[in-house]
Amino acid sequence: MFAKEAVLGGDAARKPAVRESVAGRAIDSEFVAALEGELGMAYRLAGYLMADSAEAQDAVQEASVRAWRSWPKLREREKFHSWFSQILVNVCRTRLGQRSRRRTQDVDEVDVEATDPFRASLARDAVGRALSALSNELRMVVVLRYWGDMPLAEIADRLKIPIGTVKSRHHAALQVLRRRIEPAEGGSR
Amino acid sequence: MSDRDFDDISDIEMDERLRRFAGSSRTPGLPDETAALPWTVQVEKPGRGPLNLGSGLAPTFAALRRGAAAGARLVVTLAVAATFVAVVGQVRSNASTQNYVGAPAVVPAPTGSAPAAGAGSPEVVVVPTSGVVDDVMADHVAAAVRRAEADGAAAVVIQLDTLGGSEAAMLRIDSALHSKIPTIVWVGPSGAKAASAGTFITLSANLAYMAPSTNIGAASPVAAGGSDIAATYGQTEADKVMNDAIATMRAVAQERHPLAVAWAISTVQAAQSYTAQEALDAHAINGLAASLDDVLAAADGQTVTTSAGPVVILTKGATTLSIAEDPIQAVLHTLDDPNIAFILLVLGVLCVLVEFFHPTMLVGLTGALSLALAFYGSGSLPLNLLGVVLVVLGILMLVLEPSVPSHGLLTVGGLITFLVGAVAFYGSPGPYLPSVQVAWPIIGTMTAVAAAYGLLLVRTLLQMRNLAVPVGSGMVGTVSVIGEAGEVQASLAPVGTVYLCGETWTARARDHATLGRGTKVKVVGQEGLTLVVERID
Repeated sequence: MFAKEAVLGGDAARKPAVRESVAGRAIDSEFVAALEGELGMAYRLAGYLMADSAEAQDAVQEASVRAWRSWPKLREREKFHSWFSQILVNVCRTRLGQRSRRRTQDVDEVDVEATDPFRASLARDAVGRALSALSNELRMVVVLRYWGDMPLAEIADRLKIPIGTVKSRHHAALQVLRRRIEPAEGGSR
Repeated sequence: MSDRDFDDISDIEMDERLRRFAGSSRTPGLPDETAALPWTVQVEKPGRGPLNLGSGLAPTFAALRRGAAAGARLVVTLAVAATFVAVVGQVRSNASTQNYVGAPAVVPAPTGSAPAAGAGSPEVVVVPTSGVVDDVMADHVAAAVRRAEADGAAAVVIQLDTLGGSEAAMLRIDSALHSKIPTIVWVGPSGAKAASAGTFITLSANLAYMAPSTNIGAASPVAAGGSDIAATYGQTEADKVMNDAIATMRAVAQERHPLAVAWAISTVQAAQSYTAQEALDAHAINGLAASLDDVLAAADGQTVTTSAGPVVILTKGATTLSIAEDPIQAVLHTLDDPNIAFILLVLGVLCVLVEFFHPTMLVGLTGALSLALAFYGSGSLPLNLLGVVLVVLGILMLVLEPSVPSHGLLTVGGLITFLVGAVAFYGSPGPYLPSVQVAWPIIGTMTAVAAAYGLLLVRTLLQMRNLAVPVGSGMVGTVSVIGEAGEVQASLAPVGTVYLCGETWTARARDHATLGRGTKVKVVGQEGLTLVVERID
């Protein structure tokens, strides 16, 4: 009964700053500028984490909404980047967990079909296809490390886990990937 | 790089390979509409989490409004409950005061044989009563008698028409009738009854008159729960209760006329009922009186023994003062009606149960109040525990129908249980307890209400079932879904899943084509549980 849709779509949506309010609050051009700087990287990270463009778009949107809700609480605006990627990682982690509970790994379908840009990109190389063999935990470390280009310490900060855990997961992930690839390439090593 | 301290040399190789691969991975651009997506925000329903309260003014107002509504309802609930408790408490405290204070102390006791008739014409206080003998009636009678004593009335006339009631209330009326001024019970008008406890009350008064075509009499004792005492407590206990009732009756009748004793005992022992004429012949009453005027005329000049000594009744040309129940007493007394107590209990149980499934608070409040009133009202009634349990069980079965798969058996069983319980709602009659039954029209109406409720549920369920199953979707057996259209859920490469007819199916594309997620497809064949589909444009 109280549900309300603040639909701000259409052509005007290309210029978000024009919009007057979202979720009952006037849009802040500072927030818009900061967010626009993050969207590209956020989409890349979410896309390679989920290996699904639709899910990645949803995740980016959800993270944006959450960020907008918490924006008044962010004191140090210069830390927007790490703050936002933290939110994004949380959203993706939740969605990955939900997905693996929902059904068997959709990620296994990283295959010949090329309709999804992320799957297509991953399918280019055996190492990309092998990513689907990783558990969510390991996959997150790998994607943040290589596609997000984050140092392990930063990953530990984003995932809120000890640096030692990140290192061991990183190692475990590389081992899994190597074992996955070797038989396919006839033990090239 | 400090984080490149690998345990295994092979890790370096893999690290390098991933670095190159990821570096060359392109970043697909956000689609135009998705770039705008963060601003196409659907505001979540408020109330899903505490976070939402702060997310805008509108949800805050909504929350405030709901809070205010809940608060208001709580206040109303408390007010109603407090009023109810206060009313009941008031009635109860009146009752206890009268019990212990008895007659007021400031009545100038008449010393001669003649009562203080006042300066003008004498006054007679008339107390009309009806319904079950309960605490409300006892309060009413006792208050009227006290008032008459204080006024120095020539006499008090209790107009009686009852099926009986509780022993405690009867004894209180009995004691009120042993007053300083003459007391008269008139069983009238025609068609009235002085059954069970009414018999005791009639015989307790100084003078008793009955209108023609009225009855007096009683039946066998029963326990307070209404069941047969012999069955519940054994023969010894039954004898004890019976003997007690006989002793009381003997004492009451002895005061009236020695010849009436045997007759009076037969009303208890043999559950005999008598006409007014038979009672007169047995010296149990003083005469027949078709109207109140006849009563006053017949009583005039008689000498009776009150608690203040012998008094000559002077009612000739007396003015009458009728003291009816006050409105609150009238309402509370109405609750003792067997039918009303039954209706209240049924509605109360139904409302409380419905509240569990469709919480609205108001329904629950109504139910709780109805139950409270029902229990108050049934206090003087011979409730049959088994009947009450059956009624409650029947309603419970009806309400459970949607939750338990029983194919309507619960509804039918519930209705039958309800009907049986309603018929057996009250127990068998006794010397004080009235012989009562829920009226058949009431049983019929309430059963119909319950049945309507059940039918409504079943109908709604059937509608829901029809909604869930699209016609011709073929969920079972060999019925085919060929021709149905759906959408690819997990890409068919060549095997994946499609969503159609409300279900997710395993499917493969015809000719082993690859179809991406979201592709519209049509079913062209079926292999076991795997559908064969092809793209539709």
